[in-house]
Amino acid sequence: MPPIIRTENLTKRFGNFTAVDHLNLEVNEGEILGLLGPNGAGKTTTILMLATVIRPTEGTAYVGGYDVRKNPDKVRELLGVAFQEPKLLWVSTPWDVVNWHAKVCGLSTQERKRRVREVLEALDMWDYRHRSVHALSGGMRKRVEIAKVLIQRPKIAIVDEPTAQIDIVGKHKIWRMLRELREEGTTIILATNELYEADVLSDRVGIMHRGKLLVCDTPQKLKDSIVGGDIVEIQFESDPSPKIVEELEHFREVVKIIKTKASTLRLYLNRVEEVVPKIMSTLMKEGVAVSSIRMSEPSLDDVFAHYTGLTLEEAQKEGG
Amino acid sequence: MKRRRKREAKTTRKLLYVVERDVRLFFQYKVMVIMRAIWFVSQIAFFGLIASRMVAVEDYFRYYVGGLSIMTLYSAAIFIGFDIYEEAEHGVFEYLLSLPVTRRQLVLGRSIGGGLRAFIYVGPLVCISLYVIGIVNPLNFLLALFSLFLFAFGVSGMSITLAVVIKSSDRFDILMGVLDALIVRLSTAMYPLSFVKEANPLYGWIANFNPVTFAADLFRWGAGIEAALSFENPLLPFLGIVMFFAFFTFLGIILYDKTIEGGGWR
Repeated sequence: MPPIIRTENLTKRFGNFTAVDHLNLEVNEGEILGLLGPNGAGKTTTILMLATVIRPTEGTAYVGGYDVRKNPDKVRELLGVAFQEPKLLWVSTPWDVVNWHAKVCGLSTQERKRRVREVLEALDMWDYRHRSVHALSGGMRKRVEIAKVLIQRPKIAIVDEPTAQIDIVGKHKIWRMLRELREEGTTIILATNELYEADVLSDRVGIMHRGKLLVCDTPQKLKDSIVGGDIVEIQFESDPSPKIVEELEHFREVVKIIKTKASTLRLYLNRVEEVVPKIMSTLMKEGVAVSSIRMSEPSLDDVFAHYTGLTLEEAQKEGG
Repeated sequence: MKRRRKREAKTTRKLLYVVERDVRLFFQYKVMVIMRAIWFVSQIAFFGLIASRMVAVEDYFRYYVGGLSIMTLYSAAIFIGFDIYEEAEHGVFEYLLSLPVTRRQLVLGRSIGGGLRAFIYVGPLVCISLYVIGIVNPLNFLLALFSLFLFAFGVSGMSITLAVVIKSSDRFDILMGVLDALIVRLSTAMYPLSFVKEANPLYGWIANFNPVTFAADLFRWGAGIEAALSFENPLLPFLGIVMFFAFFTFLGIILYDKTIEGGGWR
């Protein structure tokens, strides 16, 4: 199946500043693609170009087979966007905002009423639907913004930091609703600078930095791409023999072994989930008594650091 | 054929939703709406009444009330330009541009919405005017109302056009003040054309081709205040208003598309 979104050297320059630099990206139909990067990485500019709000300086993108330069009207028919900053006028009410959005996106009266109520209730916004936007907290405004896309159920949803400013319970609700949206057939682009959000929601994650896409793959493959990124700490009941250490070193996935304490070995390895059962069966075969085993795999922050040389926090500071 | 009709209906519906949004939005600025109504009534009750005793123009009070209705319509229709800046400030502009509506639907809808809301707003004020003036010929008045409708669309199209070209709310504010001074003062909204010509022939020439003059005098013609009209044939000012409306709506669509979609707004 051809990708539902494909960018070809997509570039946007504002004067001398290159916000997005020759971006080549493919998004498959029905997936959640996370765009992970610090502020200023070019995520929002990419989204604005895909949504035909701004025109690329160079290159182009195809959304649902339509060129964003040549057929912007057709592209917009397929899209729903929840922006990073809630796009609301202070005189409006949540009801006005989402109801009008649903109308303009072509929902029938009955369907509109049903979905508006359903989504506002699910997001705990039903009781606040007639309040002026200026009386709402930042998190509530953000809920109104995401509600637009959840009501619209577009073919392609673009959500920019959908849970920023939202409490943890709200975050989980929105994640669940985004997953449900995907299950109904919507392809989702999720731009975020939250590692956990990208990890738990995305089928694939694209890491962006300084306008460039550095890498794009499933979270697991990205983590596995760090050689020796997984760590296993084995605490033995007695000092492990050199033979045991040697046998452990024979595993292809094991990159390095360090003896951290008298009875503890720390193994740096790849694909921890595959190799640990093998290690355990070797140890059992050799009759070695193990008192504890602790595993940790690299986070997306480690992946980000691996590809950029910076932690996400450092990159965030750099990007302002 | 059926599919085409369905598509057309969908297009019209979207256009109407854009119109609806601007109309609703205007009336959410309650303080502004009330203040302007108070201003209108005060102008009639104080300025109109007092000035009519100073001016040696026959039936000046009724003449002034007619002109004042057009001035109020003009200032209400201009307001859409300020909305554009407000939306840009809150990022709503980007949202509107991401919606499944064409740029043409968006600008045309906004132009109509801006005009329609001004018209709805001025409606009760026009009723007050009519109460003061009295209608002579209902048919004339309906035609005059229709041309006012187009005039309001034209003004809101002009306001959108200038807003997207200028890109700065401060400069737009100043320009609107200057335009108000030029367009409204160099028209027959407040004084008959003969006085304008007498003061300066150039002023008279400008006033003669001014859409505010067309609208003000058509309104007076429709309301039966025919003492100091600037035309003999009402078709000419009517055509002038149609041209004004068409020009700014067309220009608005082109500039909106070129300036905004290219990301040139920022």
